[in-house]
Amino acid sequence: MIRVRELSKRFGQTLAVDRISFEVARGEIVGFLGPNGAGKTTTIRVLTGYHAASSGTAEVAGHDVATASLAARRQLGYLPENVPIYPDLRVVEYLRYRAALKGVPWRERKAAVARAMAKAGVEDVARKLCGQVSRGYRQRVGLADALVANPPILILDEPTSGLDPNQRRRIKQVVRDLAAEHTVLFSSHILTEVEDVSSRILVIHRGRLRADGAPRALVAESAARRLRVAAACSVARLVEFVAATPGLEVVRSAPQPPDGASVEAAVAAGEGAARALGERLLAAGIAVRELAVELPTLEEYFHRITEGSDRQEELAHGAAEANA
Amino acid sequence: MSGAWVTFQKELLSYCTSPVSWFIGFVFYLWRGLQMYGTAWSFALYRGDQDLFAPSTYGLQSTFLMVMLVPGVLTMRCFAEERRTGSIETLMTAPVRDGEVVFGKWAAATAFFGLLWLPSVLVLQVLELPWFFDADLAFGPVFAAYLGMFLLSGLMLAFGCFASSLTDNVLLAAVLAMLFNFGLLSVPGQLRFYLGEHAENYYVRELLDKFDVMRNFGDWFARGLIDSSQVAFYAGGILFFLGLTTVSLSSRRIA
Repeated sequence: MIRVRELSKRFGQTLAVDRISFEVARGEIVGFLGPNGAGKTTTIRVLTGYHAASSGTAEVAGHDVATASLAARRQLGYLPENVPIYPDLRVVEYLRYRAALKGVPWRERKAAVARAMAKAGVEDVARKLCGQVSRGYRQRVGLADALVANPPILILDEPTSGLDPNQRRRIKQVVRDLAAEHTVLFSSHILTEVEDVSSRILVIHRGRLRADGAPRALVAESAARRLRVAAACSVARLVEFVAATPGLEVVRSAPQPPDGASVEAAVAAGEGAARALGERLLAAGIAVRELAVELPTLEEYFHRITEGSDRQEELAHGAAEANA
Repeated sequence: MSGAWVTFQKELLSYCTSPVSWFIGFVFYLWRGLQMYGTAWSFALYRGDQDLFAPSTYGLQSTFLMVMLVPGVLTMRCFAEERRTGSIETLMTAPVRDGEVVFGKWAAATAFFGLLWLPSVLVLQVLELPWFFDADLAFGPVFAAYLGMFLLSGLMLAFGCFASSLTDNVLLAAVLAMLFNFGLLSVPGQLRFYLGEHAENYYVRELLDKFDVMRNFGDWFARGLIDSSQVAFYAGGILFFLGLTTVSLSSRRIA
């Protein structure tokens, strides 16, 4: 439903989006992750036709957003980050106006507005002025606006930004419910909610796509797994066993009173290192008190591929400057 | 054109429900009423040419200020406010052409400006009452003057839309529009004065003649004459500025 190929967007000297490519299939809920200023909103604005791409292509439901912008926009419902709604209109008036602007036929407009309000849960503020509703309701009015023409694709930019936990939970539930009928691209920098809602995530950082896949699969494939082992032996002996096991690299060690030791090791990608270590310790007659491989959380994974890449880039930059 | 129609309806409703619009109307008619009262008495006293009564009322200060100041106030929010609040993003990502949005907003501003002028027709009707002045106002000059006023304000409102599309500061948009309106009303006459005999050069004269709105208004519309070249001048100016506004809005889509 959404296809992006080698998309770049430059603002003057700043390269906001750098040759990213991804696809979103029908019925998917895809989380678009990235730190603030990573290029999420710029990418979304290109997809919605608000900005033009500097190079590359983007298609929405088969329509190129540059050459068939109107047709592409007809397939989209868009919730911008700071939901801008006209404060002097009542919620229902605003949604009727938006439905009319989006070409919902006059006869269907009332039903379309009622359906969108029910989906977004804003019926109880229908007669209130948009300027008088709370921030949570404001987000939901924006969501109702995105839904009012019943588009097959929804693009939601930070839909839970600035909301309290209850409001966030409500919005997440609404987004989950939308999956049955819509394809959703959902941007956020709050990892837990993306993990909760999305079947797949895209991670963008400094304009580049850093990861694309199911959250659990990405974390599982990560080389950042940690092994914790505690055994009834000296620290030096345990370190020796761990270091001698292929695929393990000792990170830290500590005595474990009264007579044991514990070691934390990085596990290289691949299975079997923990099992091999356990078998070797048992064969040596050492009592194993703890042996566990810990997967990083999505947050740790995100931190590693964003902050970590920053450090690598800084190092590379420093080396380049030193060479110069 | 459904996008233009929807935009027109929404904008006209906004104007009609805005306290600023009613304040403008109130001040304008209070001032204008006082001026009309004075003008009408002087005509009655001196048995003035009643056919010229209607056109002469367009030379009132209230008319001048209404035409110079109010279009800028009406259009200042058109796009500047949408930019400031961010609603420009939802507007421009809706499946509607930029040109339709521009036309809808301009048409609503022009229609509301027309609504502000409408009660002034009633004033003329009152003057015709037998127990009041029993004036016999000619329909032609009145109609032509109103048409001229409509075209002139349409041009100024089109520029106001353009000014509003350039900034997110509504006051700056209003000031830009007022400066343009002031320039349009006064610069050609001033230039003619300062250029002296150089103004008699064929090209300079033609240019000044075309752009001297005040003189053309008095020579044509106020006398009940509708000249097609004048109508084309205003219509062309309106289309030019609406086109510029559309380009200004669409420029963000330029890679």
